[in-house]
Amino acid sequence: MEDHVETVRKAIIEGRHREIEQLVQKAVEDGVDLHRLIQEGMIQAMDVVGRKFADGIIFVPEMLVSAVTMKKGLELVKPFLKGDGKSSGRVVMATVRGDLHDIGKNLVIMMLEGAGFQVTDLGVDTDVESLVQKVRELNPHILGLSALLTTTMPEMARVIQALEEVGLRDKVKVMVGGAPVDQKFATQIGADGYGKDAAEAVELARRLVGA
Amino acid sequence: MSMKNTPYNLVMSGLMGGRKGHRPPVGNPTSIVCQGLMDACGVSFPQAHLDAQAMAELALAGHEVVGFDTVMPEYSVHQESAALGCVVDWGGRDRMPDAKNFPHSDFSDIQVPENLLEKPSMRVVLDALSILRKHVGGQVAIWGKVMGPWTLSYHMAGTQNFLLQVGMGEKEKVKRMLRQLMPVTISFANAQLKAGADAVVLADHATGNLVGPYTYEEYLLPIHQEITSLIGGPVILHVCGNCMDRLELFARSGVDAYHFEWQVDAREAVRKIGGAISLVGNVNNPRALLQGTPEDVYEQARYAIEAGVDIIGPECAIPLATPLENLKAIVEAARQGY
Repeated sequence: MEDHVETVRKAIIEGRHREIEQLVQKAVEDGVDLHRLIQEGMIQAMDVVGRKFADGIIFVPEMLVSAVTMKKGLELVKPFLKGDGKSSGRVVMATVRGDLHDIGKNLVIMMLEGAGFQVTDLGVDTDVESLVQKVRELNPHILGLSALLTTTMPEMARVIQALEEVGLRDKVKVMVGGAPVDQKFATQIGADGYGKDAAEAVELARRLVGA
Repeated sequence: MSMKNTPYNLVMSGLMGGRKGHRPPVGNPTSIVCQGLMDACGVSFPQAHLDAQAMAELALAGHEVVGFDTVMPEYSVHQESAALGCVVDWGGRDRMPDAKNFPHSDFSDIQVPENLLEKPSMRVVLDALSILRKHVGGQVAIWGKVMGPWTLSYHMAGTQNFLLQVGMGEKEKVKRMLRQLMPVTISFANAQLKAGADAVVLADHATGNLVGPYTYEEYLLPIHQEITSLIGGPVILHVCGNCMDRLELFARSGVDAYHFEWQVDAREAVRKIGGAISLVGNVNNPRALLQGTPEDVYEQARYAIEAGVDIIGPECAIPLATPLENLKAIVEAARQGY
């Protein structure tokens, strides 16, 4: 019998978005173990994609296509899961106020979802008040903040400060990222972690929830 | 025979790989406006994006207050996109302009307006260049700036959307958009040269953080070669990010110089393409200029000078909160000579 998991894994790594639905469909029909299909065929495929991106072998266009491919495959499998697909953790993600750049954030979200996290995306240009409000409302394990501009980086510090002021800082881990951000800055503003790319962000998220 | 050491001569000679003067020139292909500079000349954002006189005065402050050898009056990446139908929020003293929509996210055909150069966001740059020409023409190098079709495509279709189409191999769609935008870049560049610019910066963000060198080579290199052959003056290419893996491709694009980031080591850049085109850069923005001390900036500028970079300057548009003293440290480093 053909190795469906390996076929799906390869299709995602190579971003064969036009074929993925057919491949997953066939895997499901042939009775493949769905959790193995997700874990080894999809999540591990995105781990490989993330590493290739971090190593500069592939770039954003290729990564976006792999993520789209995975998402298409995952959507097909979801209805067959009987509510036992356990979540890795809840994450709220946002690009901070004044910043409209969202590719980095979106890539992190796609990778986190691939890794089994439940992600709420607050979009771009998100002000401190609505971030605090959402943390209160959704009680996430992790809050992920993104900024591409050096001009908007200080907003991250303001968010952390605001969380402290309302007594929510201990309830949520804060991770930060974006082109101008580095570990030094993350430490300085009191964030719990920094990821330099989407793959590192997923690793970090896993560490932060103790997975 | 020695060269007269005026800012103009030093810059243009550096740009063309000519004789060296008594010190390296200092230039800014991208904005060096910070709050300190706005305070120093009494002109600030968003006025300086919208009014030609204000725009020119702020550019002039880069020479008069900080001591740069170039003046460059364009501080946003949205002059063309505003003329092509993007809704632009011109920001303020502490916020750079940003576009609020992507008018061609469906990759529909782009009709370049016949009166493109008369659209307010284009006219203002041309008028500012003419004002600068009247004030400092022949003494200080006047640089203009245009966006290339790759950057314009980000603005027309949305960056993620555009890159996804590239990833999906929608070659025809992607190439059609690039081709439709090319005339905007070429006509704006030539109009800037006629209005008073001595050289133009071609900013086209096929950066190492977003796309691979193979994407640049397939989609953009042929277009850059065509654009540079049709622009009637010196061209400085600006592509930020780590572009070490595509320097040789840039050197083949027909530009006279490449403006590069700190992520690309200056010595390596000079070794790879210093013989083919000139290099402009590459003092680090977030760590040195924004968060560092004047000594940090000085040290980086000296490193670039000693590596053989032809014109010294920040790596990209500087953060608005950059201390003026840090900016001046670049000029200080250049004054020490070679």
